[in-house]
Amino acid sequence: MVAPASENSGPGRKSLVSAGFSDWTRARELLASPELETLDQQTIVRILADAPDPDQALILFIRLLERAPVLATVLEDPARSRAVARLLGASEALGEFLIRRPDHIDLLVDPADAARTAPVLEPEGLAADTAPLRTLLLEAVGADATAARPVATLRGKEAAAALRIAYRRQLTALAIQDLTSRDPRAAQPAVSAWLADLAGAAIEAGLAASRADAVEQFGQDADRVDLAVIGMGKCGARELNYISDVDVIFVHASSLEDDHHAAAIATALASGISKYTTAAAPEQGLWEIDANLRPEGKDGVLSRTVESHGEYYRRWAHTWEFQALLKARPIAGDPGLGRDYIDAIWPLVWTSSERDGFVSSVQQMRRRVLDNIAHQNRDREIKLGAGGLRDVEFTVQLLQLVHGKTEDSVRVRNTLDAIDALENSSYIGRSDAESFAGAYRYLRLLEHRIQLVHLRRTHLMPDKPHALWVLARAAKGPGEPGPSDAAALTSLWKRTRKGVRSLHEKIFYRPLLSTTAALSADEAKLTPEAVRQRLAALGYQDPAGAVKHIEALSTGVSRRAALQRQLLPVMLGWLANGPNPDGGLLGFRRLSESLGSSPWFLGMLRDSSAAAERLCQILSLSSYISDMLEHLPEAAAWLGRDRELVPMPFETQWQEIQAKMSRHPDPDEAIRQIRLIRQREILRTAIADASGLLDQGTVGRALSDADRAAVLGALHVAENSLFGHPDQRTGLPGGPVGTGTVSNGSNSTGTSTGDGTNTAKSPATVRNVELTDLLVVAMGRQGGREIAYGSDLDVLFVHRPHDGADPEAAQRQAVELSKLVMSLLTRPCRPPVLGERPLVMDADLRPEGKKGPLARSLDSFREYYRRWAEIWEVQALLKARPVAGSAELAEEFTTWADSVRYAGDPGPAALREIRRIKARVEAERLPRGADPARHLKLGRGGLSDVEWLVQTLQLQHAADHPALRTTGTIPALEALVRERILPAEDGEVLDRAWHLATRVRAGNIVWSGKSSDVLPVKRQDLEAIARWCGCELGQAAELEEDYLRSTRQARQVFEKHFYGS
Amino acid sequence: MDRQQEFVLRTIEDRDVRFVRLWFTDVTGTLKSVALAPAEVEGAFAEGLGFDGSSIDGYTRIFESDMLLQPDPSTFQILPWRGEDEPTSRMFCDVLTPDGEPSAADPRQVLRRQLSRAADMGFTFYTHPEIEFYLLQSKDPGPDGQPVPVDQAGYFDHEPGGVATDFRRHAVNMLEAIGISVEFSHHESGPGQNEIDLRYADALQTADNIMTFRTVIKEVAQLQGNYATFMPKPFGQHAGSGMHTHFSLFEGDSNAFFEPSAEFHLSTTGRRFIAGLLHHSMEITAITNQFVNSYKRLWGGGEAPSYVSWGHNNRSALVRVPLYKPDKAGSARVEYRGIDASANPYLTYAVLLAAGLKGIEEEYELPEAAAEDISALTSTERRALGHHSLPGTLHDALRIMEDSEFVAEVLGETVFENFLRNKRQEWDEYRVEVTPYELQRNLGIL
Repeated sequence: MVAPASENSGPGRKSLVSAGFSDWTRARELLASPELETLDQQTIVRILADAPDPDQALILFIRLLERAPVLATVLEDPARSRAVARLLGASEALGEFLIRRPDHIDLLVDPADAARTAPVLEPEGLAADTAPLRTLLLEAVGADATAARPVATLRGKEAAAALRIAYRRQLTALAIQDLTSRDPRAAQPAVSAWLADLAGAAIEAGLAASRADAVEQFGQDADRVDLAVIGMGKCGARELNYISDVDVIFVHASSLEDDHHAAAIATALASGISKYTTAAAPEQGLWEIDANLRPEGKDGVLSRTVESHGEYYRRWAHTWEFQALLKARPIAGDPGLGRDYIDAIWPLVWTSSERDGFVSSVQQMRRRVLDNIAHQNRDREIKLGAGGLRDVEFTVQLLQLVHGKTEDSVRVRNTLDAIDALENSSYIGRSDAESFAGAYRYLRLLEHRIQLVHLRRTHLMPDKPHALWVLARAAKGPGEPGPSDAAALTSLWKRTRKGVRSLHEKIFYRPLLSTTAALSADEAKLTPEAVRQRLAALGYQDPAGAVKHIEALSTGVSRRAALQRQLLPVMLGWLANGPNPDGGLLGFRRLSESLGSSPWFLGMLRDSSAAAERLCQILSLSSYISDMLEHLPEAAAWLGRDRELVPMPFETQWQEIQAKMSRHPDPDEAIRQIRLIRQREILRTAIADASGLLDQGTVGRALSDADRAAVLGALHVAENSLFGHPDQRTGLPGGPVGTGTVSNGSNSTGTSTGDGTNTAKSPATVRNVELTDLLVVAMGRQGGREIAYGSDLDVLFVHRPHDGADPEAAQRQAVELSKLVMSLLTRPCRPPVLGERPLVMDADLRPEGKKGPLARSLDSFREYYRRWAEIWEVQALLKARPVAGSAELAEEFTTWADSVRYAGDPGPAALREIRRIKARVEAERLPRGADPARHLKLGRGGLSDVEWLVQTLQLQHAADHPALRTTGTIPALEALVRERILPAEDGEVLDRAWHLATRVRAGNIVWSGKSSDVLPVKRQDLEAIARWCGCELGQAAELEEDYLRSTRQARQVFEKHFYGS
Repeated sequence: MDRQQEFVLRTIEDRDVRFVRLWFTDVTGTLKSVALAPAEVEGAFAEGLGFDGSSIDGYTRIFESDMLLQPDPSTFQILPWRGEDEPTSRMFCDVLTPDGEPSAADPRQVLRRQLSRAADMGFTFYTHPEIEFYLLQSKDPGPDGQPVPVDQAGYFDHEPGGVATDFRRHAVNMLEAIGISVEFSHHESGPGQNEIDLRYADALQTADNIMTFRTVIKEVAQLQGNYATFMPKPFGQHAGSGMHTHFSLFEGDSNAFFEPSAEFHLSTTGRRFIAGLLHHSMEITAITNQFVNSYKRLWGGGEAPSYVSWGHNNRSALVRVPLYKPDKAGSARVEYRGIDASANPYLTYAVLLAAGLKGIEEEYELPEAAAEDISALTSTERRALGHHSLPGTLHDALRIMEDSEFVAEVLGETVFENFLRNKRQEWDEYRVEVTPYELQRNLGIL
C-alpha cells in the first residue's frame, strides 16, 4: 500500500523539521520502508523528536525492527518509546549491539520484566543496588557467585563473548536510564558509579574465567593463590566514563611455600583477565585494562603481595604515585585481601606530603596541568588544559593531600565527595564548592554523551555543527530546558571552563588570606595551621613568616589594602613559581610599603595582572633587582609597559645628564644625579632582562652605555670643578667634547648646554687654567660593550697637553683630573644613593701597571709602545675604546691604537709569549681552592679562554681582514668564522660557552646580589641560576651538566687553535 | 623510620652486631668502607653520614669535600667470614651532596642513569659476568720477584685435595651465604687461576655483586692463608684475568636479541647492539681496561681480544655470539670479552649498555662477522678486513676517550673529568718508573 515517497504521503516537511530530522528526503524514503508498513508514520516521527539524532535513530529503529519485530509494541507506550528514541538517537554503538544481539530487546520492550536481570531498570533506577551486577556477570561465564574463588565453566572465546554480551546488556540498560533521566547532570555521579561497578563485575567474571585456565595449568596450586584487583583512577573512585581504560593494580596472597611459584600463578591469573575482557573474540572487546600504575610501572612485576607493595611505597614511590593511590579501591577478587591492601597502603597517601620533594613535585604537577600542551585539538579538549576536568581533579586532590594529613574527613576517593568533604571542613566556601561541583558534573556529562555515540574513548568536543547540535540535545533531559543548538552549547561549555579556571585560583589561593579579615562571610576560612600547610605545599620555606607578610599586606581600610586583598592570593601562587617565594613576598611587602598609595601602583594592581605576575617573578628570582626596586620603587611602573623596558640610548642618557648638570651646578649634587641615572638605567636593563625582553648582547651594550654615560658625566663634573664652567674658562683652545660621538661620529649633542647664566662655583675649588685634554679609554669587556651587572670598568687615561702648555704641569693636571673622575663615581654622596653599586674604575692595565703614572700623554703612549710594550699589552689594546673626552683626541688615539693592534702578524716569538703568559695565568690566577671546571672567568673553557683565543687570532689576522677590527669578542668571533679563519662548528662551540658563562655570571649577581665568578655548588643557588638561564623548574643538574659540557668542548677547541695541540 | 630500617636495627640488636660497614665505590671501582658503631646507625638512616670526600678518588676536590653517605637498608647483610664472635655487617650506600641530591660523582648513579634510559626504551638489561682471578701463596713475590701461584694446574683441571678446589668450595658457600648466586666455578688456564661465574641479574645488582664478590674472594683467600688478586695481568707468561660479560636485553618477557629465523638467531636489535659495542669500543677501552697493567693483558696474547671484531663463537673476537640451543630463546646473548677483572663494574656496564643502545637508536650497520682467528692475521690483512686495534696503552686509550662526546655524556661531566684526571696521573707516574725489564736488558750493556 505504500506509495513511492511523494509530497502528499507520510509526514510533511514541517513535522520532520520540527522533530529535528535534517535529511527530509531520506527520512521520507526510510519512513516508507516495508518494515514500517503497519505502523503510523506520524507517531514514529513524533516519538523520534525526543531522539538527540532523529536521522540516526530512524535508521537504527528500522534495522532493529527487522531483527526484532516485537519492537513495534513500544509505540503504544510513551515511556518505552521515549527510551527507544533516546537510546537509538544517542548511541549508534548500543543500537548496533541490540541489532547484533536482538535477544536483549526486552530492555526496550519489557523493561519491567528485564529489570530482574538488569537491576538499573528497577523502579529505583540509578538509586538501585549495584551488587547484583557481580552475580549476573559471574553467572554469564558459568561461575558460582557464592564461591570463595569463583571459577568459570565456560572457557575460551565462548566465555569472552558471554562476558561481553552480559556487560553490554547492563551497559545498555544503564544508558537507557541515563538518557531518559530528566536532569542528566544530577544523574551523572550515579551513572559513573554504576559504570565503575559494572567494570568491576566484568573484571570479576574475567578473573573467574582466568582462574579456570590457571586450574588447568597449575592444578591444585591455583586454589591456594588469592588475587585481589584494586581499581585505581576513576574506576577506583567510582567516577568512571562510558569508555575508558580501567586502571588497576594486582595484589596476591598465597599459602604456597614457594613465593616464586605463587607469584607466577598470580601473574597468570592477572594477565588472563584481559584475555576475556579485551582480546579478540566473537563479541568485540570492552576496554583496556591498564596495570601501569603498579610499582615500577610497566617494568614491574604484574602482581605483588601486600608486603611487597608496602615496601615499594615506603621506599621508592614518587609523589605522583601517592596521588594515584588516593583513588585505590578493591573492585574484584578476594575482598579480604583487597581490604588488607587498602589498610596497609592507603594511610601512606596521607603522609606523602611529609616526604622530600613533595613541594617540588606538586609544583611540577601544577605546571603540567596549566601548561596548554601544544595540541592540535586544544580548543576542543574537555579533559586537559586550563578549566578542563583535569584542572578540577587536580585542585581537589592537591587540597586533599595538603589537608588530609590532619583532617581525616577529606580522605575520600571520589572527586565530588571530596568537594563535599572539603566544604564541610571549611576548606572550600559553600558557593565555590557548589559551582565547582556543578561545573565538574557538566563537563563529565558532556564527556559521557560524546563517548556514548560510538563507545569510543575520546575527550574532544565534536567539531561538526550537526554533531554539536546532537550533543546539545543529548546532554539535556528529553523535553527539558537547556542549550539546544551548537552555538548555545559551545558558549555554555566555554563559560564553564572559564568558571573552573577562576575557581581554581579562588579555591586554592583565596583562603590563604584566612587569618586576616579580608574574606567575606561566604568564603572558606582556614585555621592558621591549614594556611601554613597550604603555604608550605606551595613551596614557602617559612610559612609563619609568610602569614605575617600576608596579614600586613591585606589588613587595613586603605585602597591599597583592599586591592591587595583581591590580588594577593594569585600573587602568592606566582611568587611560589620562582626559586625564592619567601624572599619574593618580603620584597613585595617592602615595595608596597615604600610605594604607599601611589596611584599607578594601585592601578597596576587593579588593571595589569601581567605586570603583577612579572613583578612576582622578578621578586622571587632576584634579590639584586628587589634591593634596587626597594630604593627606586617608581621603577615598578615599568613592569606593565614594555616600551619603558627598552634600554635608554646613550645619547638620551647624556642629554638628561647634561640637563641635570645645568640645573645642579654644585658638583656633589651633579654627580649624585648622574649616579642616580646610572642606577636607574641598570635597574631598567635588569628588569627587562629578567622579563625576557632582551638578548644578551643588548644587555651588555645597555649596561656599558649606562656606565659610559656616568663616566662622561663624571669627567664633565671634574672639569667643571677644576676649571669652572666651559663658557667662563680661560685657557688654551681644544676644550672637551662632551658626547659619545667619539666613536660613532655623530656630533648632534654638541658640547655644552650651559645657559650662560651659570654661576657654578664650588667654593672649595681653586680655578685652574686648563692645560690638557683628557680622554678616558675603556678596556677589557667594557671596551667591547660586553659587561655584566656589577662589572668594574677597566680604563686608560690618555691626555694631550694643549699647545704651549708646560708638559709636566699638564701631566700633573691630567693625573689630578683622572683621580677626581674615579673618586666622583665612588665616593659617598649626601644624601646617599641608596642601594647603589658604585662604578669602580680600574686603571691597572696602563703601561707599567700600578707603578706607572695614572694618566699618560698620547705621545708617551706612543713612545712606550714603541720601545717597551710587551705583546700582551698590544693584546690588551685590542679592546681599547674611547668613551669620554675630546673627540679629536679620541680619533687620534684610535688611529694610533689601530696602527699598533692591527699591525699584522706579531710573529712566532710573540705568539709563543702570549701562549706562555696564558699558561701561566691558568696556573696562577685561579683563586686558591677554586675548581677550574666551575670558574666562569678563568676556568677551563671559560670566558678568558674564549677571549684569549679570539684576541690572538685578531692580532694575527686583523691586518689582512678588516672585518676583525672590532673591540667586541662576539663580533670578532663571528667575523673569524665569516672570514673562514675559524671553522663554523668551532666558532659555535666557543660562542655557546662564552654566552653561557656570561649568563651564569649575570645570574649569580641577579640571584644573590653578590658578584661571583663560580658556578654555584649549592643546589638552591644552582636551581635559581638555572631558572635565570631559562631552564625549567628542577633542572639544576641539567644546567650544571650543560655548563660543564659546553666549557669542556670550548676548552678542546681553544687548545686546538691556541696551543695548537 | 620505615620498616626496612627497623628491620636492620632489630637485626643489629638481635644478632649483637658489633660493626656496621658502609660501602661505596670510588671512581676506579675500589670499594670504600666506613665502620659505624651500631648506636650510630639510626642517625645515619635519618641524616646520612657525613664524610670528607676529598681523600676519595674521583669524589670531590679539597674545596667541596663534604659528602653524605645514605645507607640503603635493603642491602643489609651480615658478613659471613667474620664468624659469630664479633658479627659484622654491611650496607651499600648512595652518595649524596650536602644538599641531599645524588652526587654526580657516584659511579652507581652513572649506571642507574643508563638503566633508566634503557627502561625508557622498553628494555631491561641483564648481565652475567665470568670473573677470573689468581690465587697466590701470598701478596709478596717469590725469590724471583714473581708472584707465586698456589698450584700449577690448568683449564678445568680437577686437583684432588688442591688448595684451589677447597678455596672455590669455600668461596661459593660464602657467596651464597651473602646472597650472591653462583653459576659455575672452575680452574682456568693459568697456574692458580680460577673463574667463577655469577648468575644472571640486572646490571646494577650485578655490579653490586661484583664489588661484594671481590671482597669475599679476598677474605676467603686470606682465611686460607693465601692471597687472591684481580690484577689484569700478574704473570707475563700466563693468561690475564678477564671479566667477560654476557649481555642480554629483554622487552618484557621476550629476549630482544632473539629471532628464530635470523642468522645465528640474532635479531636486528641484537645486530645493532653489537654494532654499537664495536663502534664505540675504542672510546670506552679506558673504562673497560683502566690500569696500565690492563694493556699487558690486552696485548699479551692468549685469548685476549685486541681487535675490534665480532664472531659467532669466535674466541679471538671482541664480541662473541655464543652458541645456545635454538629452543632456548631466553638465552640469546652477546659476550663482550674486552673487560678485565679490575674494571669498575658500574662505569663499565654503563658505557657498554649505552654503546649498545646507541647502536639500536641510530641503527648502526653491523660489519661482517670474523670467521678466522684475527690475531693470527697479518696487520695488513687486518687492515684490509677493517679490524681496528684497541688502544695499545692506557695513554692511547685516554687520548681517544678525551675526545669522545659519547663517553662524556654517558659518564656525566663530573665523572668524566675525575676519571681522566685520575688515570692521567696513573700514566704519569708509570711513565717515570724504571722497570726491571729495562734494568735487565740495558744495565749490563750500556
